[in-house]
Amino acid sequence: MTPRDTFLQRVKKAVSDGNRAGAAPKLPERCGVGYQGGGPDLLERFRQELANAGGKAYLAADRDGVVRTIQSIVQPLNARRILLSRGGLIDRLGLPNQLNEIGFNARTQNEIGPDAKEDFFAAEVGVTNVHRLIAETGTVVMAAQPDEPRSASLLPPVHIALAERSQILPDLFDLFDLFSPAANQTPSTPPSCLTLITGPSKTGDIELKLVTGVHGPGEVHVIVVGE
Amino acid sequence: MNYAQHEHHEFVEASTEALADATLQTALVRLTDTLLAGNRRGYAALADSSELRDHAKAIKEHTLSHLDQYLEQLEASVHRLGGKVHWAATAEDARRIVVDIAKKANCKHAVKSKSMTSEEIHLNPALENAGIEVTETDFGEFIIQVAGERPSHLVAPAVHHTRESVARVLSKHLGEDLPDDPKSLAMVGRRVLREKFRRADLGITGANFAVAETGTVVLVTNEGNGRITTTAPRVHVAIMGIEKVIPRFRDLPVFLKLLARAATGQTLSVYTTMITGPRKTGELDGPDEFHLVLLDNGRTNILATPFRESLQCIRCGACLNACPVYRRIGGHAYGGVYSGPIGSILTPLYDSVPLNPHLPHASSLCGACQAACPVKINIPHMLIGLRELQHEYKPSRWEEWAYHLWSWALCQPWLYRWGMWAARLLMRWQAVDGWLSHLPGPGSEWTQVRDFPAPAAKSFRDLWKEMQT
Repeated sequence: MTPRDTFLQRVKKAVSDGNRAGAAPKLPERCGVGYQGGGPDLLERFRQELANAGGKAYLAADRDGVVRTIQSIVQPLNARRILLSRGGLIDRLGLPNQLNEIGFNARTQNEIGPDAKEDFFAAEVGVTNVHRLIAETGTVVMAAQPDEPRSASLLPPVHIALAERSQILPDLFDLFDLFSPAANQTPSTPPSCLTLITGPSKTGDIELKLVTGVHGPGEVHVIVVGE
Repeated sequence: MNYAQHEHHEFVEASTEALADATLQTALVRLTDTLLAGNRRGYAALADSSELRDHAKAIKEHTLSHLDQYLEQLEASVHRLGGKVHWAATAEDARRIVVDIAKKANCKHAVKSKSMTSEEIHLNPALENAGIEVTETDFGEFIIQVAGERPSHLVAPAVHHTRESVARVLSKHLGEDLPDDPKSLAMVGRRVLREKFRRADLGITGANFAVAETGTVVLVTNEGNGRITTTAPRVHVAIMGIEKVIPRFRDLPVFLKLLARAATGQTLSVYTTMITGPRKTGELDGPDEFHLVLLDNGRTNILATPFRESLQCIRCGACLNACPVYRRIGGHAYGGVYSGPIGSILTPLYDSVPLNPHLPHASSLCGACQAACPVKINIPHMLIGLRELQHEYKPSRWEEWAYHLWSWALCQPWLYRWGMWAARLLMRWQAVDGWLSHLPGPGSEWTQVRDFPAPAAKSFRDLWKEMQT
């Protein structure tokens, strides 16, 4: 027997020894328990919850609004190097060009190539699309893919996320329903890295004093595009 | 080296020391008050949180009673994604497996995200002996590592430190004179650890959950070090106890909704990272290799017994914060890797019941731990079970004799009445303002640390007799 088989045999025996006669409980269904929802105004709920977690949400009507908002966030920081992911709203709004025109050093990973580690570590601001937003918790959901590297929302000290209003989900449970809509259905394979971000990086390791930005971004801004 | 480093023999000494440590006492009150208030607020703010906790418990019960099947399914899912699964029956196996992975991939610099499982198997010395630099990247764990200590709380490992002692420890380590405000110290941590991340070729994490159906490993952190650990290095090794597996992706949010609320009162921790296999073609970051180490290390022994319920624990730390004993003596006094009420169960079971005689008694059985637990583990019940087990291992002649005498006396009504009358008289005569500050014999251990209430003027039997007439 391989070590694996011996291991599993031990588990199997322990399971049957420990199971009370004939009583191996069934996997329960949740049936709506714990569903909070996002209330009547998802954007407002998202804004409040993100604020509670230490982040900030903005509403921008169009491309100019988005550019102005980014400018207002980045200018006071004296930051120049902006790293953008690709696709989605970023492409549709032509953001890299827009930001370069107003004097920033804005680059997408198109320009930094596959050995991108140093650029990721050096960036001062990361601008990304989002997979979804969750109103209940003020959460930004990021899904890793070639257009959306993990580092862009992680390594720069400031993270700016762009979302459409239709991307807001009411409840955390709704996100998981996207992957497995029915209880007995095999779910679609999740992305290699699916991340829930709820506010800026936090630590309380010294005397419980809250400090933001110890590893991840110390600032999280979410710009929702729409009316 | 086994689970505990035989510090458990000194429980009484260690807790006496902790009680006399004024700094620790202040820190413990601050931490546990804040987190326990968060726990209550967190549950209160969640619609039908009690039912959701029942549901989470039912998922765990189901999983543990089909654990072999779910482990096989998890293995198949991880293989399908291009990852590799390793089976570690003991701590020694796990250490060897991780060192082998590192050597084969030619890794020299490891970064670690906070993992109790890796503490449990004493991984760091093994890696260092193999010539691999290991850096703890959770800020609290980093402080502990530099100071050469062990974590004292599940979610706040450096709670026993003050800002001054952290500044001292880090200043000495870095050869700089650092200020002692938490913000600057944390930014120094960021700077130092960023360099480590940039160089790292191996990322080691634990796992809060693993999903059998999809092969997803879940990390929950507030700082983001878990994310960088699974993003920058080219190899990722996750080490998890076999009890951490859950059946389906859709079961995950049940636990995510409870974990942070139970631990700190947050709706969600800042980062929940769900890793499904190594990076895919075309992705610019994330590891090329993904390894999952499944650790038994005594868990199957527990699985076969009535103590199985303790394997439902999701390591939130809520029982520590709620426990009147933990709140006084802190984590180090418990001796094992896991402390507090859940540690008082896990340490004897993982390590040895007879070698940890004090832990099952380090509880007033008040039930605050169970009330705070996100999966409602009946901790007091199991502590009583362990006390029974201890007696089977090592019956105490003195105790047996005392209980024989006690049961004989209770069968002699005249002796019982006379004894109670005499004791009441004596104690009321000795009492000052209704309290006794000295008792003789074994009673003196009680009065060393607190007064004993004097008995009432009339006994229950007297009152009963009066009521009948």
